[in-house]
Amino acid sequence: MSLPTSALGAGEPASPRGVGGAAGDVEAFGVGGEASRAGGSGGGIRGAGPDGSGGLAGTLGRGSGGAGRGLGARGPGARGFVGRRFGGLGALGALGVPQWIALGFLVLLVVAAVVPWLLAPGDPLAIAPAEAFRPPGWGHPFGTDESGRDIYTRVVHGTGASLVIGVAATAIGVALALVLGVAAALGGRVVDFGVSRFLEVLFAFPGLLLALLVITVYGPGIVTSTIAVGLATAPGYARIIRAQTRSVASSAYVEAAVVLGRSRGRILGRHILPNAIAPVFVLVTLGVGQAIVWAAALSYLGLGAEPPAAEWGAMLFAGKNYVATAWWMTFFPGLAIVLSAAAATVLGRALQRRGPR
Amino acid sequence: MPLRRHSGPPRPAILRSLAALGAAALLLAGCAAGPAATTATPASGGTLTYATGFGEPTCLDPHVGGNMPQALVGTNFVESLFSQDADGTIVPWLATSGTPSADGLSWDIALRDDVTFTDGTPFDAAAVKANVEHMQDPATASSTAILALGKVTEVQVVDPTTARFVLSEPDSALLESLAQTWLAMESPTALQRTQEENCESPVGTGPFVVSSWTKQDNITLVRNDDYNSPPAGSAHEGPAYLDEIVWRFIPDSATRFAALQSGQVDVIDEMQPDNVVAAESSDQLDVLTGALPGASIRLELNAGYAPFDDEKVRKAFIASADVNPGIESLFFGTVDRSYSVLSSGTPFGASYPDDFAIDPDRANQLLDEAGWTGRDADGYRTKDGQRLTVDFPISTNQSIPAEQSLFEQIQATTKEVGFDVELHPLDLSSWYAALGAWDFGVTSAIYTKNSPDVLRILYHSSNIIPAPSGYHPNNAHVSIPELDADLTEAGQTTDADQREALYADAQKILSDGAYVLPLYDHLQKIGYGPRVQGLSLLPTLQIPTFYDAWVQQ
Repeated sequence: MSLPTSALGAGEPASPRGVGGAAGDVEAFGVGGEASRAGGSGGGIRGAGPDGSGGLAGTLGRGSGGAGRGLGARGPGARGFVGRRFGGLGALGALGVPQWIALGFLVLLVVAAVVPWLLAPGDPLAIAPAEAFRPPGWGHPFGTDESGRDIYTRVVHGTGASLVIGVAATAIGVALALVLGVAAALGGRVVDFGVSRFLEVLFAFPGLLLALLVITVYGPGIVTSTIAVGLATAPGYARIIRAQTRSVASSAYVEAAVVLGRSRGRILGRHILPNAIAPVFVLVTLGVGQAIVWAAALSYLGLGAEPPAAEWGAMLFAGKNYVATAWWMTFFPGLAIVLSAAAATVLGRALQRRGPR
Repeated sequence: MPLRRHSGPPRPAILRSLAALGAAALLLAGCAAGPAATTATPASGGTLTYATGFGEPTCLDPHVGGNMPQALVGTNFVESLFSQDADGTIVPWLATSGTPSADGLSWDIALRDDVTFTDGTPFDAAAVKANVEHMQDPATASSTAILALGKVTEVQVVDPTTARFVLSEPDSALLESLAQTWLAMESPTALQRTQEENCESPVGTGPFVVSSWTKQDNITLVRNDDYNSPPAGSAHEGPAYLDEIVWRFIPDSATRFAALQSGQVDVIDEMQPDNVVAAESSDQLDVLTGALPGASIRLELNAGYAPFDDEKVRKAFIASADVNPGIESLFFGTVDRSYSVLSSGTPFGASYPDDFAIDPDRANQLLDEAGWTGRDADGYRTKDGQRLTVDFPISTNQSIPAEQSLFEQIQATTKEVGFDVELHPLDLSSWYAALGAWDFGVTSAIYTKNSPDVLRILYHSSNIIPAPSGYHPNNAHVSIPELDADLTEAGQTTDADQREALYADAQKILSDGAYVLPLYDHLQKIGYGPRVQGLSLLPTLQIPTFYDAWVQQ
């Protein structure tokens, strides 16, 4: 019974690197990340699970009827997860200057998304044809567009749409990935085979193409493009979650919990899921940045927000017609997209470096 | 060599190429200013690249459907029985004359006897008959041609060079109709092929021949070396100068203009207003403009369905849709506001500016009277819990970005009195589908026709029923017996005064009923680069012709 003890020790809050799971976590995560970026060729991930598919299901099945209770071993995995989370927050103190700038910018974005009128009291849709095409200056810090709308006001009010799309799309992607990944990892050989092949098929398409397909079927709009981006990112997350889940499920502390006779739901909820998901949270931070760019790309293609909505991609689209004469119409929304994606990425990388390694 | 300039509204003569002029300035010192660069002798050979923003045709045979993309490319390889000069007078082309019978119920069209289609088939009265039958065959799925030939019951072959058009009622617009590219003559031999084949490579008598069509990339046209039927007003005879025209599709206007600036393409259409201004002040680029005949650019209010089935709601919309500030700021002085349903290039246009005055108070009062008294949280009016929503499908192929911005401004000003205008930019086929299903409150549809008879096409109640192509030109769903009577009578009489009175009355009925909000004239705006010489617009539909065009090697 030495296993639970060591796992508990590893889960102590003081250690930012407190990892309940095996070192295999990190490897699987790294490989998964590469594979998702490469958009395919996922052979590496499949090696991450230490034993054959279906093994875990068998283990759980045996365990439920098995060994005595009363050892009082707590789910070390959960502790480890909690510990890591606190460790992550504690690590804020160790952020460098770029990370602080990125964090500050993200806070500003959240403010702009939640209470845009604090930063820009005007109406983003108010037209003033007489003031069309004004360059940046007093009164209009970012200039005006072809209908005389204030671009600063529109960029600020567009934050909400971009941020909501970014976060919601990522949430949809992760939620879907969770179902697929866990099902593949724990559902037995047949389910694993089915889900894995399905994911490989999805991987064969570039993510944006998948999003375009969804939009073609369901029509353009903010809700559709959010779902589309979410669906398009799901396969990447699903692979990582599958590899993580298998690795965690075969770990000693899960086996211990099984031996202790914990119910399957409890083992899944308290031990496996938290440990399997933790690394994904880091990736999500990076994913939000990517989702913002994708959502803007879809709006730019005329498949996201409909005119004259204040949305960064749609503003870029409207501005490109006048790029030779009114550069500010594309520059400021473009800058907003670049900075938010960059900020999310800088923070994501920082978390990744401090993460489970 | 005198250069044939554009017709349409008079414009100051633009010097052909200031750069070339500058280079030649020393030599020309003391000479009168003039388009010196064009005095060079036209040179045969070379390839010209054209980039269109009107969209890629789904079929190159202009009889099928019948829209502007087809007419633009089709003008290069098919020709019509008649043409029009800059004043709009009908002049012979493949036909030599047209003579009506005393009762106006038949026309004898005399034909040239020396013209051959590019597949070797001779052009004769039997060919004319075969063409009219092809256009009127429901299987062809024509819209423009079949509507233009609505009064033609049959074509009789009197002799090889005389075709008799038999009419159900007199048609004062017959020859104008026959001058349109959508009613152009195609080889009867080629028409016997499957529609698929004929769409790929229609065969005409034009100065160029369709060589290949790579979908979503380009159409390649090569010179017809046996060409002998140039339209009136051409600058030379015999075959065209260009070896080849590469017809490309660049839907995005900014990209299209950039391609012209960088020399990747030689000629572009559908120029943005700011690009027109930039090109006119550039010493490398030039612009040809002409007012397209037919209807002006206008909003059609769908009077067949709620909420615009209520005249008060239509009037409220028009009284709150502020157009003029946008026309001034978005179009950089390249267009004027129009208060007429007809374009300035079409005779008998009547303007009623007072019917389009902006008056938000009156709009509010009208909406109150119409029962739209509630207001929801967003400030939109409601009636019985329903929001006053107006769906506005926009064809991104037909409406240039400046026009779409104008629609956004209309959305903003009508919102002030409580309209919820929802803009839906759509590709051409989705837009046609939305119109076909009457799934819109307001839309903007172009209709080019070289005759005021376009009013009958657009607003006669019979054209609420779709043509074989599925398109119903009467998008405003106007059904007024007096209007139908005016339009029918005006289409039958040849008396100019009577036609003017009838068309004026018809336009007053439309204006009073608030079915249409005219915006501005539809201008053909063709930009071209420094290599291109001798380019002009055929007056009939203001479509560029490349017969006289040549490129400097």
